[in-house]
Amino acid sequence: MLMLVIQKELRDILTSTKFIVSFASCSLLILLAFVMGAAGYRTEVARVDAARRENLKQMEGQTDWMMVRNNRIFLPPQPLAALVTGVADDIGRTMDVRGRGEIPQEDTRYGEEPVFAMFRFLDLEFIFQVVLSLFAIVFAFDAVSGEKERGTLRLSFANPLPRSTFMAGKLAGSFLALAVPLLLPILIGCAVFTWMGVPLSSDEWMRLALIIGAGLLYFGAFLTIGITISAVTARSSTSFLALLVIWILSVLIIPRSAILIAGRAVDVPSLDDINAKKFRYAEQLFAEDRTAMSAFSPAEKSDPRKMIEEFQKFMGNVNDARERKMDDFSSRLNEERANAQQVQSAVALGIARISPATCFTLAASALAGTSLALQDRYLAQAKGYQETFAKFILGKTGVNPGGGMVFRMRVGDGAQEKPIDTHELPVFEYRPPVLGDVLPAALPDAGILAACIFLFFGIAHAAFRRYDLR
Amino acid sequence: MNNAPMIEAAGLSKRYEDGVLALDNVSFAVRPGEVYAMLGGNGAGKTTTINLFLNFIEPTAGEARIDGIVTHRDPLAAKANVAYVSENVMLYPNFTAMQNLEYFTRLARRPAPTREALRQALLRTGLAEEAHHKRLRGFSKGMRQKCGIAIAIMKNAPAILLDEPTSGLDPKAGFEFIALLKSLRDEGKAVLMSTHDIFRAKEAADTVGIMNRGTLVMQRSARELAGEDLERVYMEHIAGHNGLAA
Repeated sequence: MLMLVIQKELRDILTSTKFIVSFASCSLLILLAFVMGAAGYRTEVARVDAARRENLKQMEGQTDWMMVRNNRIFLPPQPLAALVTGVADDIGRTMDVRGRGEIPQEDTRYGEEPVFAMFRFLDLEFIFQVVLSLFAIVFAFDAVSGEKERGTLRLSFANPLPRSTFMAGKLAGSFLALAVPLLLPILIGCAVFTWMGVPLSSDEWMRLALIIGAGLLYFGAFLTIGITISAVTARSSTSFLALLVIWILSVLIIPRSAILIAGRAVDVPSLDDINAKKFRYAEQLFAEDRTAMSAFSPAEKSDPRKMIEEFQKFMGNVNDARERKMDDFSSRLNEERANAQQVQSAVALGIARISPATCFTLAASALAGTSLALQDRYLAQAKGYQETFAKFILGKTGVNPGGGMVFRMRVGDGAQEKPIDTHELPVFEYRPPVLGDVLPAALPDAGILAACIFLFFGIAHAAFRRYDLR
Repeated sequence: MNNAPMIEAAGLSKRYEDGVLALDNVSFAVRPGEVYAMLGGNGAGKTTTINLFLNFIEPTAGEARIDGIVTHRDPLAAKANVAYVSENVMLYPNFTAMQNLEYFTRLARRPAPTREALRQALLRTGLAEEAHHKRLRGFSKGMRQKCGIAIAIMKNAPAILLDEPTSGLDPKAGFEFIALLKSLRDEGKAVLMSTHDIFRAKEAADTVGIMNRGTLVMQRSARELAGEDLERVYMEHIAGHNGLAA
């Protein structure tokens, strides 16, 4: 009996004009997301390659590693970020790494192309979050109330059809009829993605499959909510209106409101405050150092080379001590801010998770490696690279200039000096997260979506037991 | 033939949540091979009676029984024995007549029907063969009514409930319907037909019941009514119970 109701739903939906029009629109958008994602990825790869070459070019001609005081590193585009942008376009992709000290992040995609920040990109996550949830509502709003209005509910239940079977068949049939066909444009999109030269590792394929799985869970959640609302309302127009309100709240209002509420509830010191404190402390340290520098007197005053070396060593120690103090101070401030931000995020996301749209966004961006963790991950790897870079320069020059001023005395016979080989410079390779890293972050949100389906199915089932079939 | 009632109302009452007494202690029985016409105006309680037999609502008192099964105690078993045709048969508009017929036949827990069986059922109702594979979307009310009757035929249930089945049908379609109804009766089906149509009721019914304001005010066999003008009887009972009698 269940199979019969499922088959009926499949046939009823798949042969409707509404399905053909909606499916064609969704398919087109999904394919567009893959094509535009692939094109954007290729553009980003070319941009990063050019920036890397330009960075090395600027070092070419130098004859002393002492002159290489910093190296620019770049966050390479990630294939999955082309489909689930997350925060990838909001964070600084370029970092100027010195031998020590804080690493400034700059050059966000939206900073470079602000017009895109206005409406954001049409990525796969957007299609799922906005378009497919509407697609689910359009088909679910009259699932029960529409059958009542059409009169088919009465005729169906004049037969020995259990209400639970009808409800389970409705949900399963609608899901199969709507979700499975959507896999077709997604599969074509994947093929187009590969064909356009976006390389995906087996791990990334796996993560993409899970993103699509999370999307289907989200779609299922809205479908179940839709069927539930349809089962508690007598008229499909009422059901549609209620669902539209739920959709607006879920997709547009709750995530934004949650952030506003958390912003009010948890105070996070602004970057300006922190930078001002850092600046004042740096001024204080410089003042102390100037006193120490004015008191400097070389032990050996006859040999200028030894004098310079002694001064270099003195300055190195002064710089090291200042940078250490500055690092400690900055770390403390940054940690305080990061802790406050964590609390704020926890509050914001805790509230926002009422909405299935938030759960899907968090799960998808975690799986794509473009969640809020991207910035921390990039920064942590940049810090790791900073140590490698510092060791390399120290090995080459004997000092870690840390981007500071270098005193250098050249004593030579005037012969042409050999330029440095920039290829020796340690290369920064961003290591994107793998499935094992992202799964723990994505599973709770996927779990909430699954729980949402079960919860609303339970409500729909309970509501339909008392539904007036007349 | 077993003469036990196939469709039976025993002291059936229904009071809605808003306090309206829609049905008050109604009792009647329809035996196999009998057509029972339930006459009455709007709000008389005819559709409430049908709804009680289909367990769409539960009685406040009394029982509705199909083949001895109390419908609100074992609704699925009761519904397995009853076919239902509504005033305005509404089927799935994206399905063809054959597809609708096949779906509802299987929904009635009958074996998967052959195409020939479906075709014969539709032809028996008078639905032209060229319409069998057309979507219901373009069907007239009469054509949909024929599909509804075909569903009842395919279900082959011993009890048939008809709710205003001739309403809105043209005279020819009405005549064909009555002929079909008689043939179903001759096959031993018990038919309960609620209707406004006194002419059709007289033509097809073995027993006529008149309902007014939730009460069964008259019940007579066709033989008892043979020499009488049913329209006058009907008006007398309705008027009398409405306090309009001279």
